[in-house]
Amino acid sequence: MPATVIAEADPASAITPPTTPPSFGTLALRWYRLNRAGLRAIAIGIISLAAFLLVWHMLTTYRVVFFVRFTNVPSPLAVYASFTKAIHDPKFLLHVLLSCRRIFFGFSFAAIVAVPLGLIMGRFKLVHEIIFPVAEVLRPIPAIAWVPMAIMLWPTNEQSIVFITFLGSFFPILVNTLHGMSLVDPVLVRAAQCLGARERSIFREVYFPASLPHIFTGLTVGMGVAWVSLIAAEMISGQYGIGYFTWEAYSLVQYPDIALGMIAIGVLGLGSSLLIRGAGHLVMPWRLK
Amino acid sequence: MVRHLPTLSIAMSVTSLALILTQPASAETVTLGIGTQDTTSNTVTAGVVIRQLHLLEKYLPKDGKYANVKFELEWQNFTSGPPVTNAMMANKLQIGMMGDYPLIVNGFTFDSNPESKSRLIGVAAYSLAGSGNGIVVHKDSPYYELADLKGKLVSVPFGSAAHGMVLKAMQDRGYPADFFQLVSQSPEVGSTNLQEKKIDAHADFVPFAELLPFRGFARKIFDGVETNLPTWHGIVVRTDFAEKYPEVVVAYMKALIAANQWLRDDPKLAAEKIQEWTGINKEVVYIFLGPSGNMTTDPTIKPALIDAAATDVKVLQNLGRMKEFDPKKWVDDSYIRKAYAEMKLDYDAQLGSTKNYEITGEDSFCKKPIADPRKAGEVWVDDAGIMPFSSTACTLGAYADFKAKGKKINVAYVFDTTRGIKLFADQAFFAVGNGEVAPFLLKKDAEAYAAKISGKVLGFDDAVKAAVGGGKT
Repeated sequence: MPATVIAEADPASAITPPTTPPSFGTLALRWYRLNRAGLRAIAIGIISLAAFLLVWHMLTTYRVVFFVRFTNVPSPLAVYASFTKAIHDPKFLLHVLLSCRRIFFGFSFAAIVAVPLGLIMGRFKLVHEIIFPVAEVLRPIPAIAWVPMAIMLWPTNEQSIVFITFLGSFFPILVNTLHGMSLVDPVLVRAAQCLGARERSIFREVYFPASLPHIFTGLTVGMGVAWVSLIAAEMISGQYGIGYFTWEAYSLVQYPDIALGMIAIGVLGLGSSLLIRGAGHLVMPWRLK
Repeated sequence: MVRHLPTLSIAMSVTSLALILTQPASAETVTLGIGTQDTTSNTVTAGVVIRQLHLLEKYLPKDGKYANVKFELEWQNFTSGPPVTNAMMANKLQIGMMGDYPLIVNGFTFDSNPESKSRLIGVAAYSLAGSGNGIVVHKDSPYYELADLKGKLVSVPFGSAAHGMVLKAMQDRGYPADFFQLVSQSPEVGSTNLQEKKIDAHADFVPFAELLPFRGFARKIFDGVETNLPTWHGIVVRTDFAEKYPEVVVAYMKALIAANQWLRDDPKLAAEKIQEWTGINKEVVYIFLGPSGNMTTDPTIKPALIDAAATDVKVLQNLGRMKEFDPKKWVDDSYIRKAYAEMKLDYDAQLGSTKNYEITGEDSFCKKPIADPRKAGEVWVDDAGIMPFSSTACTLGAYADFKAKGKKINVAYVFDTTRGIKLFADQAFFAVGNGEVAPFLLKKDAEAYAAKISGKVLGFDDAVKAAVGGGKT
């Protein structure tokens, strides 16, 4: 019953301010109680990851063939060996850094363009009618199909790569923003209008905050897709990037390196999604549990 | 590489799933997956020709233990070797074909496969001098030879035969590892990048070093012959399949021999058909596979090719891409030998011969027979076919004559005077003087020769005029 404990402790400290700070033990206990749910999630997360590694290890060590064949899938230890080799190689760090930079630019541009565009499309029917069909046609085109066009469109390869990650994240953000706009409660809009709010204020005070949760969903999905597009995009680079690293490993048929590249993309993708979620909490404190 | 990635693999897994589910576990059906590289013109006799002409079906065993067996052939096309290796490792393909470097990687990768190894069972085509791989630049660029590319951005598909050629060329000339800015790009990406001038040069395997110049935006400045290291494409098989169905593998080798024969019987028709099947221009196919072409199609496994493979292994080891691998132990010529024996052909005689089939016939312009095919030339007139001519001067003279008569000319071929490789005449540099017209791939070779005969270096159009005027400038 942590709630009652805190309730009992609080009035006392409020009445007589403590002369001595609470002991470390008390603080730790209090911190533990406050963050119990979070800690539990982390602990379970670690256990599930460990279980995943263990299952992977067993499947590959015993080369299990049960319809799905693990005969030649690299084991976690082989991938770890690749990893230790890779981190001693400054090039690997460069691969990671360059990919992060490309994702950062591609994703940022996508957010800067897609969010306002989605808001405007949601508000003005004509803009929606003009842009929506084009967007719907372009949306299903996979990143890899864009490679030749991207090379021809942009003067440098770095721009072509950023362009492909931009495309990857652009559409999820746009679609989610539109969705958010369509769900804005018309009663709120009418209320604001009755109170004499002008278009700009309604936009700022009603539409934007109301669609923010969906915008952030779009950003999270968009970030994921940006990483998905990475291998396709970095085929152009021919030199650096974690997607390129994976691709090169494929062209030399080095399975542990392929797995290492996949995992690196996964981990980086997770990290960037966490960043977005963090930003979401900062921007929308009212949505904190 | 680009095309097959997600959709095809999904389609593949769905089909294989459906196949597994619908098939009874009896030995009634033998499924044979064959990974081809249709656009890599070198491998066509081992892949697309056999498929399109149904040659394998013709030779598959039908009696004895195969009396009740139904064969299920699954052909899959890729644009490079590594995906073939990947599918072979996964046992989706049992036979695959690829260039020298990917082949070694294939053999080495299979070393750690507990189910099966891979064995080299035949050769599709080879060039002992190393022609086929090449380096091209944009046609408007100021680069005319390898040394001009110092510090420039050069792309090559890593792990390909062309990569090996670049490394060998650098080694031969004592260039440091950072002489070029070497990056890895697949043929598709590299070609587009070259067209857009994003890179200074692109090194690639068959047929791109000829195809890109033919498509009009590139110029070849380095040919693999300058490395003098053989390049070749071969066929590998999974040993678990080959040991269980050796007769099927022998049948495949017979189909390969038959495809080879078909190609040589009518190279023009073959080039046209291959264009229809693969989309590679017939003029480009013909420069590789036609008579006196830059590739020799020959299924026998020549020791020189295996020695070259050993050299390639060292290159990969130096790059830290490979550990121990012995190409000699990886060769298994029993199937191809059996195929030769059963078709009553002499394997050892073919093994000892490194002769290509050459241009023959009568020069209809200069009215004399063709004596030296590597000094000769050919003109492909759209409706009249491919005509041989005894010398470069006669070839260019005939070209001018056809033009004057208003004929549509597809392409003209001549041979590099010193290296003997077949060239597109309109891409060559000609040393002209003293009644002589000598074509060259490289401007610098043409200049040196022109200085020797106190002549001049001319482009194609001027060379044609000079040839008509009797070789005077």
